[in-house]
Amino acid sequence: MRVSDVRQRPHVVLIPLVFVAFVAAWEAIVRAWRVPDFLLPAPSAIARALAAGLANRVYLEHAWITVAEALAGFLIAAVTGIVLGTVIAQFRLLERTLYPYVVAFQTLPKIAVAPLLVVWLGFGVSSKVVIAALVAFFPVLVNVIVGLKTVDAPKLDLMRSFSASRWQTFRFVTFPNALPFVFAGLDIAVVFSVLGAIVGEFVGSQRGLGNLILQFNTALDIAGMFAVLLLLAALGVALHLVMQAIQRRVIFWAQPDHVIGA
Amino acid sequence: MASAQSLITAAALNQTYVSQDRSVVPALADVSLDVAPGEFITIVGPSGCGKTTLLRIMAGLLRPSSGTVHLLGRPITGPSRSVGVVFQDPVLLPWRTVLDNVMLPVQVLRLERERYRARALDLLALVGLTGFEGKYPHELSGGMRQRVSLARALVHDPALLLMDEPFGALDAMTREAMNLELQRIWQESGKTVAFITHSIAEAVFLGGRVVVMSPRPGRITDVVTVELGRPRDLDLMASDAFGVYARKIRQALGPRGLLE
Repeated sequence: MRVSDVRQRPHVVLIPLVFVAFVAAWEAIVRAWRVPDFLLPAPSAIARALAAGLANRVYLEHAWITVAEALAGFLIAAVTGIVLGTVIAQFRLLERTLYPYVVAFQTLPKIAVAPLLVVWLGFGVSSKVVIAALVAFFPVLVNVIVGLKTVDAPKLDLMRSFSASRWQTFRFVTFPNALPFVFAGLDIAVVFSVLGAIVGEFVGSQRGLGNLILQFNTALDIAGMFAVLLLLAALGVALHLVMQAIQRRVIFWAQPDHVIGA
Repeated sequence: MASAQSLITAAALNQTYVSQDRSVVPALADVSLDVAPGEFITIVGPSGCGKTTLLRIMAGLLRPSSGTVHLLGRPITGPSRSVGVVFQDPVLLPWRTVLDNVMLPVQVLRLERERYRARALDLLALVGLTGFEGKYPHELSGGMRQRVSLARALVHDPALLLMDEPFGALDAMTREAMNLELQRIWQESGKTVAFITHSIAEAVFLGGRVVVMSPRPGRITDVVTVELGRPRDLDLMASDAFGVYARKIRQALGPRGLLE
């Protein structure tokens, strides 16, 4: 990297620098004050825990469960959200009737339903999938409805001037026009689905990263807990980046600043 | 009434709408207009004179409160295949390429895809966009977008082209260039054009007849026949004859005629 590049984009250097400074300060404070491991482990201890967990594949086995639960929940939420949102947006009466319920459910902290779902569906994977789907569903639904209703009048006039049918208007204009909103919803949903899976595992489970956190908590293995948190952060970032990559390909025409929540 | 030789005839059009305080506001009052096949008419007037309302009625997008419009001898009840509309904004679909935007009417009207594809390519050549078929709207300039919009309005071969201040958002030089091109395209295609503008110069330059409208309620105050040869070039705009027509229209617009 040349000096001129850095001058133009100082954040390229500053972002890793902040990380290094933060970790160094943490390490120094823990060592200087001899903070016990069960309160706050040093970054070096966390790194050791992470390396050990990854090496004996324990973390990966649990991570795989959580990812599978989250992705299954996300897919269910995406499909039902898009289909239901589309149906609701087509019929004004249906929308007016159902929208208050949508808002009511959206404001309800869906996580609070998790214990109930564990009672109904058991400690296995299915309860986590349903919780993930439930949490991820509403951002998709709301964005689909809003997106389908946000068509500028001139585009609709244009379609009318060709005597386009309702289906043609939907297919050629309204639906593609809504896609930036749909993707904004999906982007939120993919992160929410991980949240849902973890919470489900907290409430009652045998495996998964949420379960692992509880195990470490009981054992006062705080370094292990931090290692799992790092893993979760990496997972969240990875899922977000995948969504962004898909989004850039599918809605290449939309400027990022036109997209809500991006 | 609809005479046999006219392409579109508007008779005694009235349009009112109810404003927010529930008073009835007249937008058009007793507007009658007859356009012959192959004619280029321009409609000029200040904002709020109902010229866009008139165009929407002629396009079949708006039903008049009273009065009738006949297109090719038949009353207009809705949008027609025989009409192409160019709106104020290009209204291109950003997810479609230039060619696919031009092909949109062909798809919606379920016309024969292959034949009209060739026609779409010809039209893109006509508007000077050969080589841009695969580009997306965000890759084009404002003038180019409006050219795509023009090609789209022509692709299904309508008899009548309705244009609603299509070059209003363009800079002065691009606008003059577009006026020249539009004249050429009109001469080559033999279409009938009704062109709305708030620019007196544009109205005189393009129009065979200039329909002058006044606001509140919108009514036709004068129809000026412009007897200047074709093709007209930009130098003409500095000529005395051009100035005479421009002055005449400005007078017809009355005290509100200071538009530019």
